[in-house]
Amino acid sequence: MSAPPETATNTAAVPATGGDAGTARRPRSRSLAGWGFALPFALLFLVFTAGPVVASLLMSVTDLRGTDLLDPFNVDIVGLDNYLRLAGDEKFLTAAGNTAIFVVVGVPLTMALSLLVAMGLNSGLVRFQTLFRVGYYLPVVTSIVAISVVWRFVLQPDSGLLNEFLGLFGVDGPNWLNNQTFALPTLIVMGAWRNLGFGMVIFLAGLQAIPKDLYEAATIDGARRFARFRYLTVPMLRPTMLFVAVITTIGYVQFFEEPFVMTQGGPLDSTLSLAYHTYNQFGFGNYGSASAMGYVLFVVVVLLSIAWFKLLRNNVD
Amino acid sequence: MNRRLLATVAVAALALSACGRDAEDSGPQQGEAVAGGNASGEITVWAMGTEGEKLSTLADAFMAENPEAEVKVTPVPWDGAHNKLAAAIAGQETPDVTMLGTTWIGEFAKTGALDVVPPELVDAKAFFPGAWETGIVDGTSYSVPWYVETRLLYVNSSVAEKAGITSPPKTWAELTQAAKDMQAKGGAKWGIYLQPGQTGAWQTVMPFVWQNGGDIYDGEKFVLDSPDAVQALEYYKSFYDSGLSSRDRLREGETEPKLLSGEIAAFVSGPWNIGLLDELGGEGKYELWPMPSGSGDFTSFIGGSNMSVFKNSKNRDAAWKFVAYLMRPDVQVKWYQTVADLPAVQEAWDNETLAGDQQLKVFGDQLDKAKAPPSIPTWEQIAAGVDTELEKIAKGTTSAADAAKAMQSQASSIGTGG
Repeated sequence: MSAPPETATNTAAVPATGGDAGTARRPRSRSLAGWGFALPFALLFLVFTAGPVVASLLMSVTDLRGTDLLDPFNVDIVGLDNYLRLAGDEKFLTAAGNTAIFVVVGVPLTMALSLLVAMGLNSGLVRFQTLFRVGYYLPVVTSIVAISVVWRFVLQPDSGLLNEFLGLFGVDGPNWLNNQTFALPTLIVMGAWRNLGFGMVIFLAGLQAIPKDLYEAATIDGARRFARFRYLTVPMLRPTMLFVAVITTIGYVQFFEEPFVMTQGGPLDSTLSLAYHTYNQFGFGNYGSASAMGYVLFVVVVLLSIAWFKLLRNNVD
Repeated sequence: MNRRLLATVAVAALALSACGRDAEDSGPQQGEAVAGGNASGEITVWAMGTEGEKLSTLADAFMAENPEAEVKVTPVPWDGAHNKLAAAIAGQETPDVTMLGTTWIGEFAKTGALDVVPPELVDAKAFFPGAWETGIVDGTSYSVPWYVETRLLYVNSSVAEKAGITSPPKTWAELTQAAKDMQAKGGAKWGIYLQPGQTGAWQTVMPFVWQNGGDIYDGEKFVLDSPDAVQALEYYKSFYDSGLSSRDRLREGETEPKLLSGEIAAFVSGPWNIGLLDELGGEGKYELWPMPSGSGDFTSFIGGSNMSVFKNSKNRDAAWKFVAYLMRPDVQVKWYQTVADLPAVQEAWDNETLAGDQQLKVFGDQLDKAKAPPSIPTWEQIAAGVDTELEKIAKGTTSAADAAKAMQSQASSIGTGG
């Protein structure tokens, strides 16, 4: 703010106390107004977002159980016990392993497929582009319940579409969802199929933002199709890739819906994910240790996001 | 769903200053007596599923008898019911009366939110003994059984006939033989279908343990690795090893058509399956067998739902009067006619509506010999561990003895939550 010069001289003339009050009053009323405007959001945020987050952090260092609901302060503080015990919890480790596989295989697979589809749609060779775009995006907005019903029909061991198709080539398809080896890969494919549409839309926007004359110049310079992709498309798409990678990773680390509706974590826990295991612990009323698991998951998401930023930070000019 | 619960706990936990558990007081408690006369005032009731949708018919009849009372029924879907109750308890916003699944009572009783059943409200001996026990936690009765269900063997009649089976098998050995015959002579792909582990499999397998004289918890410690229990698990395992039962789990809705087509000769299920099979045109094509016995009795699993009153109910006496009304034999029969729930009160079974039905008679007989798991707050978690081990047995990746040992050590380390 700019005060007129007269005020400044006046301030110098009058006793110090009066001057202080004079200059401080305006900013205070302004900041009050500012806080007033921010209050509705700040209050809601504190009560419904920050509050629960802090509370669950507190919960994770206590032995709070479902039976303590009436008297949540009547619990023992156990420090990091809940966290340390996770290292010896076999189910937790199995779930961590499954989640790791899902993320490590699923994220690159989903990104590669969505980039491929986006490039296909962007090339202009495909007719009925809108139809394809809608088609690929449809799984993203379809209810997982409807999807699970259809996929279960497709994956039926005796009469499913997939095994009937394999049968044409004389291959005897396995019982996909009941087989320890195939259950997780099946869910990875399903996850990739479900999320491909989201990545595709983002990549399509990214591809269309790359100036056409860059490609023309590259073609004149004699760059072939693959070279154009490797040295032009990929670097130009870096920020888009970062975005898709981070969002997909966050979603996949919290992998839950697919096993929940398709396998209930089976067979033999081969599709049990961290989020699912945490959900079960909440169900059993182990609020303390379930919160601890939730925080482990949170830290993993943060670390992976940082890793993506380091890996894909836009350093091309 | 849990987020709201977290938020509720959170607001309180923010002010967290001093923590530390008080010493637990134990020993059976006596409820306070209920005043005589008609019920009056507003009574709020939560009930789940079909029961929640149809309970208002009984509430109307109750209000006709007690003109000053007003019963308000809130239907709650089963899916969110457990969390909704937990959140209500944490927020002290409970109804007066609630329906509870039999395996939840241990947990909710331990929160201290449930009122103790008043003495002489109902006669404990009027109920099936297995059902009455589901309401007792640490010797104190917190809830009254409302309706019950138990598990029987559903068998494809024509397959059984082709296999030359004229009367239901009475022992384990006879059941194995029957399954073998139905597979070999009856033309079934699977002689029997026993759920191969995963959620709820314990309801099929724990009866085997009970049938052999074993138990889950003896009042002081878990006894899941007793020789009787190991034998029962070996019996369960034998069905998979000899190819009588599929190792792959069937989805909900898959078993019924497979039973009627004869692909599966028999499966274990509860009374609701009568309706499901009849809907598929299966009426008269299947029969019900009671459970066989090992070295003990022909015990089965008992489930169902109970009615409890919350301690902070503002209209406690009227709430208990409504509960007592629901347990009257004539009301129990009326309830059976409304939603086909099996009465928990034995006297209701003498009514001709129930006594005249041959299929129901098998259920009625089985209910005399039916047990429930211990009413402890940690049971659901222990059961999940048991289900995992059962899956390993069914898939053939562990022996019965090792599975029993694993179940026992998991259950012991989880404890009884007391």
